[in-house]
Amino acid sequence: MVHALSEIRRVLVPDGILIDLRPMLSKWPIEVVSAREIRETSRIQDLPLGLADDEAANQSIAQAEQNGWFRRDVEEFFPFYYSWDAPSEMEEWITDEWHDFIQLEEASKRATRSVWALGDADAVVRVKVKMLITRWKKERTGDKE
Amino acid sequence: MTIQKDSEQNETKYLHKYAEFAGKRVLEIGCGEGRLTWQYAKETRSTLGIDLDADALRVATIDRPSDMENKVYFSRALSEQLPFSKETFDIAVFAWSL
Repeated sequence: MVHALSEIRRVLVPDGILIDLRPMLSKWPIEVVSAREIRETSRIQDLPLGLADDEAANQSIAQAEQNGWFRRDVEEFFPFYYSWDAPSEMEEWITDEWHDFIQLEEASKRATRSVWALGDADAVVRVKVKMLITRWKKERTGDKE
Repeated sequence: MTIQKDSEQNETKYLHKYAEFAGKRVLEIGCGEGRLTWQYAKETRSTLGIDLDADALRVATIDRPSDMENKVYFSRALSEQLPFSKETFDIAVFAWSL
């Protein structure tokens, strides 16, 4: 990934910017949401492979900064919501799409199903994904490698 | 299955808060089916999305609105070996890919 960052630096103009936009694992909350209320039911379990991916990304960008390729300008976290009509749909999605890096424990499934079943008619289920956005500015001066 | 992604459009809001896309040449790495691309590409001078997933790129090309046909392109390419000359783009977006 460090090589990709080197390539991006090469194709950017001298005042170019890089926007890094990515999810960060942090035991994302599961919520049951209706027009009337938002209830957190449990949290998702982070798996070692997912945490390792986040760490590898952090290290790559830190290396690029250390090499003098980019300068961190500004960054912040924001929530990105995935929503489903029912808990079963959320469980299916997590099993099919996210099984490598997170998992849903049985207790979390039960808690979410229960809150949803007893909730308002318009209740949906959502996962609050923690997103990181960072603006990097291309450094004009060379390579500190 | 019905799934909604970012119904509050936070991603779009933050993307526009962090970058001024008007008139810029943009490279998006990891564009997939173009979900994020459509949030900003209309304003750009040109946008090139790259990904390794040929099926996703096919979907992105099919979904491309007619008013973006002359400025939004998709290509299968490796981020570690970008097939572009130096200093070609004003903005690079690493979309869920780093």
